[in-house]
Formats: sequence, structure tokens, C-alpha cells
Amino acid sequence: MTKKGVLLLVVFIFIIVSFLPVLTLLIKSLFPNGNFSIENYVVLFQSSRTWILLRNSLSLAVVATVVTLFLGIPLGILFSKTNLPFKELFTLLFTIPFIIPSYMIAIGWFYALAPQGILTRILGTHVTEIMLHHFFGFPGAVLVMTSVLLPVVVILTMTYLGLVDPKLEEAARLSSGWILTLRKISLPIISPGIFLAGLLVFALTLGEFGVPSFLRYNVFPVEAFTQFSAFYNFGAATAATIPLGIIILLIVIVERYFLRKRTFELIKGTGKEEKITIELNQWKVSILIFVIVFAAIIVFIPLGSLISKSVSLVACRETFVRSMDSVLRSLVYSSIGATLLTLFGFFLGYLLERKVFHFAWAIDSMAFFLFALPGTVIGIGLISLWNNPATNFIYASAAVIILGYIAQYAALGERMMAATYAQIPTSMEEAAQITGVGWFRRLVGIVAPMAKRGLIATWLIGFLFCSKDLGSTMMIYPPGHDTLPVRIFTLMANSPEEIIAALCVLMLGIAFLPLCALGVIFKKSRVKS
Amino acid sequence: MRRVYLFFLSFLLISSSKSYLSWAEEVVVYVSEDQVFSEPILKDFEKETGIKVKPVYDTEEAKSTGVMNRLIAEKDNPQADVYWANEPIRAVVLKQKGISAAYFSPNAKDISAQFKDPEGYWTGFSARARVFIVSAEGAAPTSIHAYTDKKWKNKAVIANPLFGTTTSWIAALFTVWGDEKTKSFLDRIKLNEVKISTSNGESTTFVINKQFAFSLVDSDDATNAVRNGKGVRQIYPDQEAGGLGALILPNAAVLIKGGKNPENARKLMDYLFSPETERKLAFADCAQIPLHPGIQTPKDVKKIEEIRPMKVDYETVAKKLQEIQAYLKDWVGY
Repeated sequence: MTKKGVLLLVVFIFIIVSFLPVLTLLIKSLFPNGNFSIENYVVLFQSSRTWILLRNSLSLAVVATVVTLFLGIPLGILFSKTNLPFKELFTLLFTIPFIIPSYMIAIGWFYALAPQGILTRILGTHVTEIMLHHFFGFPGAVLVMTSVLLPVVVILTMTYLGLVDPKLEEAARLSSGWILTLRKISLPIISPGIFLAGLLVFALTLGEFGVPSFLRYNVFPVEAFTQFSAFYNFGAATAATIPLGIIILLIVIVERYFLRKRTFELIKGTGKEEKITIELNQWKVSILIFVIVFAAIIVFIPLGSLISKSVSLVACRETFVRSMDSVLRSLVYSSIGATLLTLFGFFLGYLLERKVFHFAWAIDSMAFFLFALPGTVIGIGLISLWNNPATNFIYASAAVIILGYIAQYAALGERMMAATYAQIPTSMEEAAQITGVGWFRRLVGIVAPMAKRGLIATWLIGFLFCSKDLGSTMMIYPPGHDTLPVRIFTLMANSPEEIIAALCVLMLGIAFLPLCALGVIFKKSRVKS
Repeated sequence: MRRVYLFFLSFLLISSSKSYLSWAEEVVVYVSEDQVFSEPILKDFEKETGIKVKPVYDTEEAKSTGVMNRLIAEKDNPQADVYWANEPIRAVVLKQKGISAAYFSPNAKDISAQFKDPEGYWTGFSARARVFIVSAEGAAPTSIHAYTDKKWKNKAVIANPLFGTTTSWIAALFTVWGDEKTKSFLDRIKLNEVKISTSNGESTTFVINKQFAFSLVDSDDATNAVRNGKGVRQIYPDQEAGGLGALILPNAAVLIKGGKNPENARKLMDYLFSPETERKLAFADCAQIPLHPGIQTPKDVKKIEEIRPMKVDYETVAKKLQEIQAYLKDWVGY
């Protein structure tokens, strides 16, 4: 099969697996009783509740993005450019909330603020009662989303700062201090990267279901779930996602036309020169204390609450008895999901980076659109497409969960592999081509070995995202196929807190292994470069 | 590495084919009752019969109607064999939509006819009641009319009537009092500045924290709060002679039409209706009221014969519940 043939086949499968469910959903909402009608949409836009939801969704996304950028950029600078002690450990620490289902951080905070919680013991009941009152709602949602998405900004800031040509900074340092150099040289250069980080935080917050649902803050993803699950209104559930879809489309357009070219230019242009370090001197101790206190607030309080709550023999035994099947399923499904994401990423990333077709940008935009779309919506789409006797072998099996993973996270594999291919010179392939080696052999024999590290990183990131998925899995898991995040979510109603905490800690353990592996890969990459 | 993948792949294939081919020794059950209470019962059934139970549980966020709606979505492609509803109204909705099949279990013959569908489309067992949770000390209401009494203005709370058992309670009032009287009652509730909470659990917390004087909640919420020493007690409303009575909401089991394992489904339903299951659910933290007469209960769980129940026909309540959805959305301002 030719190069174009293989890539076209992959694109075709990707569209069937990922985009068709959402398209089916949209079509069904326009034909509520078999006849064309826009009634669902008229009702939606006439309802005052729509505008409240829009205001809630947008204000949460905007405020969480601003706060995350405000905190994440300085941390990224500290961990990337300074001689702050233990900065690798801090990077790992701040990443932990991102690798577990976000609602678990909310649970951790809830336990910390409870009458017997860590914070109540320190601050007293009076203070934590007031905090708890505000926690359920907008402030709590902002706090949790900031803790969860902070690593996105920190890591992207670190990555892009690492790519800035040090000569530019050295030149600036001749006439000014570090603060001015960062403000006038480094940060403006990496501004597309920072903007991308902000956009990702905005999109991920906008599509978040678990946290607003737990904290009873009404946003569109929760509304879609409620309309479908509590009212069984397919049309209204779909319509509820349309305003969100429009916002996500705008994000895709912004990302496509204003960011992608510039961020890729940055990656291609630099990155191999020796980095220079900012000496913190007399500020070192105070900044270190500040970072420790901040880590204590963002990471230790919620996770510490979960861990301390889970330290009980009964809870551990119950957790083992009640959830081993779900743990095994989570591991297996996430592994298969990660493998398929890597496979799609391998081909789609190639398509995107080597610009094999003119429409590569459309596939990329489609993948990014699905990534930003709430999982609950993708779940409803999968039900509407696969729930019929002819396709029951998919709907009634774990395959439907895996399809959900691919639909939601294909953009991750595609983008990561595109970034990997960008580091592999095309001349290697061209040389092999001249000697008559076919495309598939070039891909397997030359490109794949050179992209090995990128492939492993893609697999690990894919595994992390699949293992913590809740939105789509919650909607579609077939009988007897619940994963660990789903099991924790369904057990939460009236279950003893110790068991929920122990399950969350177990989830943390599952996510921690690939995180450590990723850390090793990136460390090796840095040493090598 | 290849071996690891082969293992993963075979696990997926086996689990997929098992669920698709639906082996004879399994039963698929969709459950609205809280997982923490229902799962041990299902595990016991597995142990005693050797029949594998494959459950799908509801979440609090879906307001205990998520799996029922999934059953409706799967009408033409049924996946479940049994639906364990946490109240009979949803079971009636399934009957009306032609999703359930009739089954008269021999184990349910001693359960009062009031808690069973005469045509066998659902059967009730282990019930909750709608009760007041109030502070352990001080004055307390004894009738639901307290919600409209100026004495309790701005001091009462009730869960969102769009969801769960509060919807059923309001629909029941519509069937007992009629539209006009119930709408007037609800209007006066608003005028009396009754707070609307997101759930019965939140209402319970509000009363425990003394933010509100009382709330109508489910008896399991109230009993749990009492057992945990939260400084509250529960009161069955309108228990005087000739009084309205407390709404009783039994669990209900439904046989799904077209399910792939009808025999095992019947076995599971028989198990759920057994006096032993009712006893277990009475002693569990959900503190449910057995519907079989003479079953041993803990001291804080009333026997069904000690309660004055609200006289309702669940089929009529279910019809009313669907009729008043738009009115309730409007009332809540949804």
C-alpha cells in the first residue's frame, strides 16, 4: 500500500471512530421525532438558564486560566532558569494533581475542610465552616481547577524557555538585570507558548465535568449530563453543548491561525545551545520557603487529606475486595487505549508534520476540537451511534470505552508525535528513498526507531489520560466494565469516606508509575541533548 | 513486552465476547439504589447461586435516574435483565414505556398489594419513608403543613423537587390533594421562604449544622444522621388518626423485556424479595423498612405496621410526575 493510501485509511478510520459519533449526535438533535426541527435550539436560546450556564462556564474558564497563568509562569521560570534547590522534585510534585481524576482533588479539599479534617484542626471549625461554604461553588471550582491545571502552564513555560536562544538573553543581560531581561526578551519570545498554555487551560476547564459536578457549580458539561441522564432529553443534551461547541471552535481557530506557526518556529529554531542559569543568591531561601508553602497548599493539603483518611485496615481491605476488578480493567483498557492513541499519533502526527495532504490541518483541528469537547458529550455521541443491535458487539463490550478514549485524546498522540517528527530530519528518509526503500519500510526502519522516545512518551501520556477518564466512560461503560474512576464516582453516594479516600490513593498509585517513567525519559533526553 | 500485550489483548477479547455472547450463568442488573448498599447484596447473590452479576450503578449526579434513562435509550437493544430501582415511580415509567415484563415472584406474596404492581411489572421491597429531620432538642414540626406555617418562615429546607424522591413526594401530593390544593401549597412554600437544596443529603447537613430547623428527607438519611450522633432526630409526619401519613417509597425490582438472561433475572428478583435480603437492608446503614411482616429490625428502624402510610397509587403518581415536570421546572425557575 502506498504512503497516501495508508494515511488516507488512517484518516478514514479516525473520522469514523472519533468524529462520526459527534456528527450523529448533532443530526439526531435536528431530527427529534424523525422530522427536521430546530425546536431544541430555539428552546435553548430562549431559556434564561442557557445564559446563566454560559456565564458560569465562561467565568470559571477565564478566572481559572488567569489564576493558573499568574501562578504557573513564575513557577515555570523558577524551575527552568534558576538555581532553586529541589526544582525537579517540585516539578514532579506540582504535576501530581494533573495525573489523577480532577474531582479527587475536590474530594481531598472537602475532607481537609470537614470537622475532623487537617485544616479544621489547624484553623478551627469557625474558619473552615466559612471556607467550606464557599468551597461548594465558584471559588472552590477555581481553586481545584487551578491546582489540577497548574502543571500545564508550568511545564509548557519550562519547555519553551528551554528553547529560547541564550545569546539573546546574554545580550540583554549586558545592559539590564534578569527581571527586565525576562520581561522584555524571554517572555515575549515564548508568548505563543504561554498563550497555548492558557488556551489549553481554558479549553480543559470549559470541558470539565467532574469538579463542577462535585462542587455543584452548574456549567454546560454538567447540564449535558443532567439533560441526558436525569431528563433523558437527547435533543436538549446536544443543544446544551452547542454554545460550548461554538466557543471551542473559536479556540481551534485562534490556535490554528495565531499560534501553531509561531510555536513550531520556536521549536525548530533553537534548543541545543548551553542554557544560562539565574542565580537567586540572597533570595534563594525565601523563594524556597514560598514554593514549599505553595506546594503545601496546592498539593499536600488535598492529597494529604486523602492519604490520612485512607490509613485504615478496614478501608484497605474493603478497597481491595471492592475494586480489584476495576483496577485491572483500568490498567488493561488504558494500556490498549494508549497503544491505539500512539498508533493513531504515529500516522496522524506524520501527516501533520510532513504535510502529506493539504487537508492535514482539518484533521488536526478536528482532533483538537474533540479534545476540548466535554467527555459527556462524546459519551452521548457514542451511545447515539453504536447503540443498536447491529453494532451491539461494540456497544456491549469494552470496545466502546476504548473508542471514547480515541475520540477524546487523539489530539494528544497526534501533536506529540508531530513534535517528535519535527526533530527528525527529512534527509534521512530522502536518502533511503533514493536507494529505493519503500515508504512503509522507511517508516518502520528509520522513522520509528528515531522516534522511539517520543513514541514511549506518547504512550505514557496516553495511558495517564485514559486511566483518569471519567466523562465519556461514565456515560457508556457496559455492564461489568466499570473502570476505577467510574467506580469511585458511583461509590461516592453514602459510602464511608475512608473507602473513597483509599480508592483515590490507589488511583494515585496507578497514575504515579507512568509519571515517574516520563520523568526518567525527559531526564535522559536532557542529558543526551 | 509482546507477551504482556498478548495478555492484555486476550483479556479484552474475553471480556468483550463474554459480555456480547451473554453466558448463561450471568445476569445484568442496572441499579439506582446506592452502590454501597446494593453491591453487598448482589455479591451475596453471586456467592449463593454462582450466577455472575454484571451491574451498572447510578451516580448521585444523575439523581438516581441515569440508569433508568439508559434503559429507555436501550429499549430496542436491551442490555439489562433486571432494574433495581430505589423507588417504584421509575419502575412504573418503564412499564408505561413498554420496557419491562411481568413477573410474580413467589417470595413477594407476603408483601402488601399496595407495594406491588397488580400486573406484575414491578414489585416493591425494603422501603424508605419521607420523614422530617429536626434538631434533637426544641420544638419540631409534626405535619408537612409546617412548610407553610409562618412560625417556620425562612427556617425550613427541602431538596430540589426536580429530582429524586422529592419529585415523587410532590407528585404524590398532586394525586392525593388534587392540582389546585397542591399548587396553592407549593406557592405558600415559596412565600414562606423555604430554602431549596441540591439533595436530601445537603438538606440533612443543613439541619445538622443548625442552618435550618427542619427538612423532609428520606428515612435512611435521617437514621444515619441519628446513628452517627449528629444531634438530630427523625419524625414521621402526619401520623395522627385521619392524618395524611408519610409517603413510603419501596425499592422496586423490574424484569426487563428482551433481556438475555430471563431465568437468572427471575432468580435475582426472588433473591431481592426474600425476607433475608430485607433483613440485611434493615440492618445496613441504609436502614430500610422491610415490607414483609414480622421481620426483625434494629431499634431505630420502624416496622411497616407501625407507620401510617400516605395512601397513594404509584401508577397514578408516576403519570402525575411526568405531567408536572414542566410546572416543577417553572416553579424552581430551572
